[in-house]
Amino acid sequence: QAETVTLRASHQFPGGKGDARDEMVQLIAREVKAADVGLDMQVYPGASLFKPHDQWNAMVRGQLDISSLPLDYASGKVRAFGATLMPGLVRNHARAERLDASPFMDSIRKKIEDAGVIVLADAWLAGAFGGKNGCIRKPEDVAGLKFRSAGKTFAAMWQKAGASIVTIPSSETYNALQTGVADATDTSTSSFVSFRLYEQLKCITAPGDNALWFMYEPVLMSKRNFDKLNEAQQKAVKAAGKKAEAYFRKASSEFDDKMVDAFKENGVEVVTLTPEEYDAWLKVAKESSYEQFADEVPDGKQLIEQALAVK
Amino acid sequence: MTPRLDRGRPLDVFLSAVRALSLASGIAAAALIVAAVVVVCQMVFVRYVLGETTIWQTDFVTFGLVGATFVGAPYVLMTKGHVAVDLVPLMIAGRARFWLALVATVLSLAFTATVTVLAYDLWHEAWAGGWESESMWRVRLWIPYAAMPIGLGLLTLQYVADLVALVTGRDEPFGIDPAQGGGI
Amino acid sequence: MQGLIVLVATVAVLLTGAPVAFALGVVGIGGLIAFQGIDSLLVVAETIYSGLHDFTLVSIPMFIMMGAAIGSSPAGRDLYEALDRWLYRVPGGLVVSNLGACALFAALTGSSPATCAAIGKMGIPEMRKRGYPDEVATGSICAGGTLGILIPPSITLILYGIATETSIGRLFLAGVLPGLMLTTLFMAWTIFYVWRWAPRRREFSRRYVMRDKLAALPKVLPFMAIVGGVMYVLYGGVATPSEAAGVGAAMCVVLALVIYRMWRPADWWRILRDTTRESVMILMIIGTSVLFGYMLSSLYITQSLAQSIAALEVNRWVLMGLINVFLVVAGCFIPPAGIILMTSPILLPIIKDAGFDPVWFGVIVTLNMEIGLITPPVGLNLFVVNAIAPDVPTRTILLGALPYVACMVVGLVILCIVPEIATWLPDTLMGPGR
Ligand code: NA
Ligand code: NA
Repeated sequence: QAETVTLRASHQFPGGKGDARDEMVQLIAREVKAADVGLDMQVYPGASLFKPHDQWNAMVRGQLDISSLPLDYASGKVRAFGATLMPGLVRNHARAERLDASPFMDSIRKKIEDAGVIVLADAWLAGAFGGKNGCIRKPEDVAGLKFRSAGKTFAAMWQKAGASIVTIPSSETYNALQTGVADATDTSTSSFVSFRLYEQLKCITAPGDNALWFMYEPVLMSKRNFDKLNEAQQKAVKAAGKKAEAYFRKASSEFDDKMVDAFKENGVEVVTLTPEEYDAWLKVAKESSYEQFADEVPDGKQLIEQALAVK
Repeated sequence: MTPRLDRGRPLDVFLSAVRALSLASGIAAAALIVAAVVVVCQMVFVRYVLGETTIWQTDFVTFGLVGATFVGAPYVLMTKGHVAVDLVPLMIAGRARFWLALVATVLSLAFTATVTVLAYDLWHEAWAGGWESESMWRVRLWIPYAAMPIGLGLLTLQYVADLVALVTGRDEPFGIDPAQGGGI
Repeated sequence: MQGLIVLVATVAVLLTGAPVAFALGVVGIGGLIAFQGIDSLLVVAETIYSGLHDFTLVSIPMFIMMGAAIGSSPAGRDLYEALDRWLYRVPGGLVVSNLGACALFAALTGSSPATCAAIGKMGIPEMRKRGYPDEVATGSICAGGTLGILIPPSITLILYGIATETSIGRLFLAGVLPGLMLTTLFMAWTIFYVWRWAPRRREFSRRYVMRDKLAALPKVLPFMAIVGGVMYVLYGGVATPSEAAGVGAAMCVVLALVIYRMWRPADWWRILRDTTRESVMILMIIGTSVLFGYMLSSLYITQSLAQSIAALEVNRWVLMGLINVFLVVAGCFIPPAGIILMTSPILLPIIKDAGFDPVWFGVIVTLNMEIGLITPPVGLNLFVVNAIAPDVPTRTILLGALPYVACMVVGLVILCIVPEIATWLPDTLMGPGR
């Protein structure tokens, strides 16, 4: 048998601490080794190899084999990826699963591959938003708030609803909330826990059945390096990816529960949106984020329609 | 510290021209830093006093300071401001110090020249691919990225000038006064 | 084996006298080509660029400008005049005041080189002018500057908190008392050293009576106003730490213009030139050290080292000692941010298994990083001080900083014996740790 190929995987999440995204990558590492096809995998957690935003290009150039990252990080290179961090487009985990099998995600995966990267495992992460002084349920609730947002499309929606947007690096969010530079923020449920934002927030809007906040965060692989593998190795990697995807399907909502528990334990009020509240937000998003996206991305309108068409 | 230069000779004209370029790059870097300070204050004012949205300021300041770092590097080299471990250069003298300075200069030059080429590639890729920043202020990345090949290119040029000045005896090795003998 | 080759190459290239920034770059690129082939250079430019593309680094040039503006105005002279009148009889009085100023400044900034630059810019020339030996003047500022990452706010503690999911609020509070303890240790050493070995050569032309002392106070008002102003900006919910640095820089420039009437373009250029030279120098090193760190991580050198420590089955305090040795050695070569991001995810499980408190360990890590800041070959504070006082040989600065490394080691030992120095304040104010 030929020499063993060692794949390098990198991500920005804590390693070995039960973070579902780390678990996905570690699972793939275990599986490809166990497949005994001359593959080994080295995982670099916690952004210890590449900075989060550098991982995409590193894969395109074949300097990184595998990564788990928010696809929106590459939206500067492929504008259409902005659709994968769009308010109200996913709604809940069950619908995320249906979305994965839809023409919408086929278009996205095609664009990923055209850029030189392939998807090993789909994953949709739910997120939340919370305020320092009170709950955010309806668009009126954010009027006058200083909002720190994780993404451009969400910022557009908050701004449309009357918030002023504060751009602060994620590492300074905690401080900004503490001192009052910002008084509301949105991000993934796991980041809410890992940044310990329950120490600063009074109320959080958890995903529930009507979540506004979802983000596509797949496990990806460099196409250039994938093509270099032999057939057995390619099969093993693909199979491992499918297992990771199945694992994440099960784990993803536990993730949200973990956040809810952490915030409740710390005396933070936890609420979810009703269908009516969700629709009110969707209306705001249509007039802001969706419209903006359709203007800026050539096939943006079509992508949004594809996504909204999913039942 | 300043190399001994004559007017009319071509080599000296080259060295003076490089020095002028490096000075210009230093002024540009200083201007970027001033702009960063002004924008930070403007951002705090807009957000805290007016309570309005701040979008572009963080990006502007961050990109501006990265730009200042690269563009300012040749000026800092010209004024011998990049710190080094001067333990060995001070311990030895004469020819040995000259050869060591030659090694140090060639190594640094090799690095700056290599990264200049790599930075040009990155810039070109960003330009051809129409890359934008992933932040809220969609900056076309070729603009801030341009600072890297330009700054490092000028830095390489300044290193070439330093090498010429060293080899032709216009500058002392490490800019150390030769009277300052070895053996500290 | 690769680790050893890289270590030898790094030391060799640094000793040629090539600028540290480019020496790290040469080894970084050399290591990548040698062990991973020419293709690995494809990510070099982006790695350096994104290493610098970080809003938290903004505080570095901002605080340097603050120091340059204050330093070139008579504000610094006034401040030292006042401090000297009050402390002229204490052995090493001005050095003690400088250390105090560093501690105060540390409460305004999260970065050590920035603290070092802001205080050193004013302090080092003043101390030398007043007859303190070069090693005391430079060493004390190197050491005092390190307080910037222990006394909150601290970029190092923020990075640790994020990398290990530890409460940043707790970490900040945990840094307060150890920071004050370290300040006291530094001051005690300085007083002892100056009293014992370097009594001041300058003869005093006069003694200061209380009236003189009080008369000097109004002159320091502008300085105190800035400290108060930055405090307000920082803790009053006006701005984040990095932004507060920018506002502070602007306030200092305005102070120089309005109060000290520095209108001449030459004054302006001097402030700008100093700011540019020092900022560019430090940022360039940060950029190439990120490349260097990438090379180490890419070759799995850092990780293997940390894992081999974890594999040892030893007494928990021996383990703690080994981890400290590892962190200090790593700190000699890699700036804090790199070490913390690379190793704390690996080290933390080991620490928790051995029954140590992660918040307390964050302070221990920070203390180790402080040592790294003033040890060669990569010690950001050394470079800052070298830039402020270019005529002082590196050797003298190193020798001057060395005793303060000993103070930090003493601080580490005290913290190991009495962990409550770190944990008492957060436990008291935020409830016992979970
Ligand atoms: Na601090
Ligand atoms: Na060091």
